[in-house]
Amino acid sequence: MAIAAHNIDFDAIEARERAAQKKNWPTFILALLVSMIWVVPFYYMVVSIFKTHAEYAANNPLSLPEGLSPFFDNAISAWNTAKMGAGFANSALYGFVGAGLAVFFAAMAAYGLTRISFKRQNFWFMLIFAGTIFPFQIYLIPLFFAYQKIGIINTHFGMLLFYTAVCIPFPVLVLRNYLNGLSREMDEAARMDGASEFRVFWSIILPNCIGPMTATFLLQFTWIWNDLLFSTVLGNREEVRSIMNSLQIFHGSYSTAGPNLTLTAALIASLPAIVLFLLLRRHFMEGMRVSGV
Amino acid sequence: MVKYIDRESDAQLMQRIGWHQVKAVEDRAMRRNFWKAFAFMAPALFLVCGLLLMPVVYNIYFSFTKWKKFAGLDEFAGFSNYAKLPGNPYFDEAFYNTAIWVAASVVFPLAIGFGLAVFLRAVPFGNMFKNIIFLPRILAPTAVAVIWFHVYAPHGVINSLLAMVVGRPVDIGWLYQDNTVTPAIIATFVWQSVGLVMVLVLLGLSAIPKDPLEAARIDGATNGQVFRHIVMPLLMPTLVVVTILSVLSGFTTFDLLWVMGVGYPGQRTLSLAVYMYFESFQKGSWAFGSAIAVVIGIVVFSVTWIQTLMQSRVDKMTR
Repeated sequence: MAIAAHNIDFDAIEARERAAQKKNWPTFILALLVSMIWVVPFYYMVVSIFKTHAEYAANNPLSLPEGLSPFFDNAISAWNTAKMGAGFANSALYGFVGAGLAVFFAAMAAYGLTRISFKRQNFWFMLIFAGTIFPFQIYLIPLFFAYQKIGIINTHFGMLLFYTAVCIPFPVLVLRNYLNGLSREMDEAARMDGASEFRVFWSIILPNCIGPMTATFLLQFTWIWNDLLFSTVLGNREEVRSIMNSLQIFHGSYSTAGPNLTLTAALIASLPAIVLFLLLRRHFMEGMRVSGV
Repeated sequence: MVKYIDRESDAQLMQRIGWHQVKAVEDRAMRRNFWKAFAFMAPALFLVCGLLLMPVVYNIYFSFTKWKKFAGLDEFAGFSNYAKLPGNPYFDEAFYNTAIWVAASVVFPLAIGFGLAVFLRAVPFGNMFKNIIFLPRILAPTAVAVIWFHVYAPHGVINSLLAMVVGRPVDIGWLYQDNTVTPAIIATFVWQSVGLVMVLVLLGLSAIPKDPLEAARIDGATNGQVFRHIVMPLLMPTLVVVTILSVLSGFTTFDLLWVMGVGYPGQRTLSLAVYMYFESFQKGSWAFGSAIAVVIGIVVFSVTWIQTLMQSRVDKMTR
């Protein structure tokens, strides 16, 4: 599944499918009705962020808003009360640095596992890959206490340390598969010419891995951005709180905040991931194909 | 076939070609190579072992102790934490709900996603619908949970739509009642995950080569026969992967249940993952909590093991 997807001719498939979609209007109507299930919650979110608290309470939740201006008040109020500025900065730090370091370390490990021959390669690969087979719940308690003992609980460093570690095994799998399929002629030639192992890795392997590295980086970045469990357990102080944790805490106080505000906060919190997805859709689909996540 | 050239034994042959020296040189090179490779693997190994594998070992160890927060460490307690699990009403309830979760999160996304994938191939502007249905996938589970929390609220979307149908005001607290809370959250999960299943099935479908389909048609196979005997077997690997992914996410989902169940009095029983979090981080029963985590781990392990078995069987079938 991971490898087979590379040699699919997507354009030909799309052309073939378009030919199959003749003017079939009854099915179009049916599809329209079915897709309402997905449209209505989004519609509801969009109309709600333009309502004031009083307006939301007085009208049907699906009614159109009276004006567009309350959105700015909602956004400012949600941004300030939920402390989303700090959440944004923290999550961006965790996402970019954590996922970036993880993918870089994974590329190094994949290089060692595929380009240098030594005994029991498979054992060392499995040792790294073992990091994906356990449910997250099993890490929580020991990490919480170890972090407390060392004193890195509720610190940016502690959060980065864990996010980097948890994002390593999967890219190792992907990049190892990729490097196994990549021709060895170039790096053999460089080695002949006297390049050091690190030089080979840095100037020959890395530039050739940009595609799968971007795809796995995006997957891991969204994972970190969306994570709630670990940021609740390991970083629950205000200065280190991730964006999803701020959203969850803001939502927990919904009785005071009001649906129009929490929905605005939910939209703001998801925006970066949505924008990233729309900009880099191809890479995301590539990542999805190699992982099924 | 050439059998033996002369009567020289293996040992003698080795001796003659100086195999021992060759082996020694090779071993030395291998050892040198190992340290070179180790330098490249070191950051990944240290991080994975220190922050993922060590905690697993410690968690298993904790689950056999009487460990209480800050009260002297580690009195060995055998299986007593595990013995307390069955019969505990919260655990039983959580286990039962998890079973429902897993069953529903496999059956519904798979059935609906598969149906939509096949159906939307023949619909005009099918791609638009595919994109709409995929859209929730790119939202964070926490954000999805917040949206649906208000959709299900007494003054929310579902109730106002129901009110339109029955013609009088409805105020069901979908997320506050025992008998509606689990189905309601499952519906949200399905809403979010159908898009991915659909895309994976579409990828699987489009990867099927056209030639065997045409060959079967020429030989007079009906659509049903083509589907059952050619499309389904070729789609099996995709379906196995999708099933396993659903089972695993069903067992470990936390964000959706935690955020949507925030007002439900029996929140801790929503699933094993939530129960584990509640027991350890809200109640401070650390040893008991780690025993629950081990139970989740064992289940996930057996599922992964079944996956490997199924996948090798599917591989054999398609080869």
